[in-house]
Amino acid sequence: MALKENIFWVKCPKCGGKFYCDLELRHSEVPLRCPFCQNRFLTSESPEIFE
Amino acid sequence: MGKDLAGFLEQIRSTETIVEVEREVNPADFEVTAILRRLEERALFPPVIYNHCRNLKGEPSSLRVISNVFGTRERCALALDLPASETGFPLSSRYAERTKHLLEPQVVAKKKAPVKEVVRKGAHLDLRDYPLVRHHEMDPAPYIDMTICLKGRGQSFYNTSFQRNMYKGPRKLGLFMAARHNWEIYRSFEEHGEPAPVIIILGHHPAFYLGTLNIQPYGVDDYKVIGGIMNEPLTLVESETWGKDFLVPADAEVVIEGEVLPGVKEAEAPFGEWPGYYGPQRLSQVIDVKAITHRRNALWQDVFVSHRENWILGGIPKEGEIFEAVRAFVPTVRSVHFPFSGNCRLICYISLDKQEDGDARQAALIAFAHCDFLKYVVVVDGDVDPFNEGEVLWAVATRCQPYEDTDIIKWVKSSPLDPSITGQSEGSKMIIDATVPKRKAFAQRTTVPERVLERIRLEEYIDEETILSLPKYTDSLRSV
Repeated sequence: MALKENIFWVKCPKCGGKFYCDLELRHSEVPLRCPFCQNRFLTSESPEIFE
Repeated sequence: MGKDLAGFLEQIRSTETIVEVEREVNPADFEVTAILRRLEERALFPPVIYNHCRNLKGEPSSLRVISNVFGTRERCALALDLPASETGFPLSSRYAERTKHLLEPQVVAKKKAPVKEVVRKGAHLDLRDYPLVRHHEMDPAPYIDMTICLKGRGQSFYNTSFQRNMYKGPRKLGLFMAARHNWEIYRSFEEHGEPAPVIIILGHHPAFYLGTLNIQPYGVDDYKVIGGIMNEPLTLVESETWGKDFLVPADAEVVIEGEVLPGVKEAEAPFGEWPGYYGPQRLSQVIDVKAITHRRNALWQDVFVSHRENWILGGIPKEGEIFEAVRAFVPTVRSVHFPFSGNCRLICYISLDKQEDGDARQAALIAFAHCDFLKYVVVVDGDVDPFNEGEVLWAVATRCQPYEDTDIIKWVKSSPLDPSITGQSEGSKMIIDATVPKRKAFAQRTTVPERVLERIRLEEYIDEETILSLPKYTDSLRSV
């Protein structure tokens, strides 16, 4: 039973705050919502993604 | 009027301090949880009432906030009509006993329902008028973290559980549901393209909330179970939105009525959850809020999620119900405990008087079958107190050889909030059999002869003043 990720970290392009999301959002067109500045952005717009 | 939160607070005022914060706080700026955290750092867990709060508009709120009602097992014992000193297994056993006695609710007229003193609908309805709490740093918004209730589609049973609701707008909340009973009810509405009626209940007698966390099968009416736990029929009243087709608790402090929209999912969370970590941002359902009703001077109840209150609330119901489930097949089970170390959900200690070696694993498998959160079950003999974690770990250290006394079960449904799971909700489980084997000779615990202990009174050998002056060290106490 290999370990596999079920979350990925993103960075808000507006405030730089980092938070993580369920893998279902990784390739979704649903905008993410930054919990720190409420900015909405697509996963593809995150300057950093760590999974 | 039935049992309610105000009555419970009045009951406990004679024996413990209810902290009342008079300085104004802004719950949406983490000030409620910051005060609770400061108390926690000093190992203090009183109920706390914040008498002056800002609402989400930044204005003084007419409602006060209360939190930490479930911060001690002592308080939960009082809620179930036990002495505060009965914090061990008798508390769990009392809960289990009451789940066997379902009570039909009683319905009262609106004018007799305290929760109908104030009614907000339509243009007068705005969640920003209320003191919602923002809990932890990575939470994107204030949340309501109390009990929700759905009713089976075309059925008469109600299902309650604690589920988080993210503030999204004046009449909009997010709702995260793991794939359990409420999710099943919602799915049955969604597949017909219908919104699912839902209510959120803030503020009630603590026995009400303990009752909502029962682990009865799908289809059992939780209103009846809650009545059993409260030891009196739950008092209900017609809702504003659906009338007698959906009844709500009449003695609650606040009831929010809404509809879970079919086919709508939006980003929700992160949210600090019971494991002590944030659950990730994910797609969750949305509630369209239709009405809020409350008492005139209502207490807006909030659970200090991710902390001790959250754990105790979840642990007591599981202990009792799993004990009953195990006892059906292993009648010599003595006690069950969900310790703080597992957030009262992930780890379970079971003590039993083994008749055969297979009893231990049988008990563990039954526990896993009744609680999908559970990840580790440690089974110990009856001479080990499962409420004494040091004793349990001593039994693991001295009675268990990992290669023959542990089992790992893979690819089992687990809690999606366990940060260590390997898929959406798949994980593995572990049984640790820390019982003395019957199939081979084993050593015996050391004891000082009872016949000598019985005739030795400490005060006859050491004066009481000296005894009282000695510092106490409880880190290696044995219960037997």
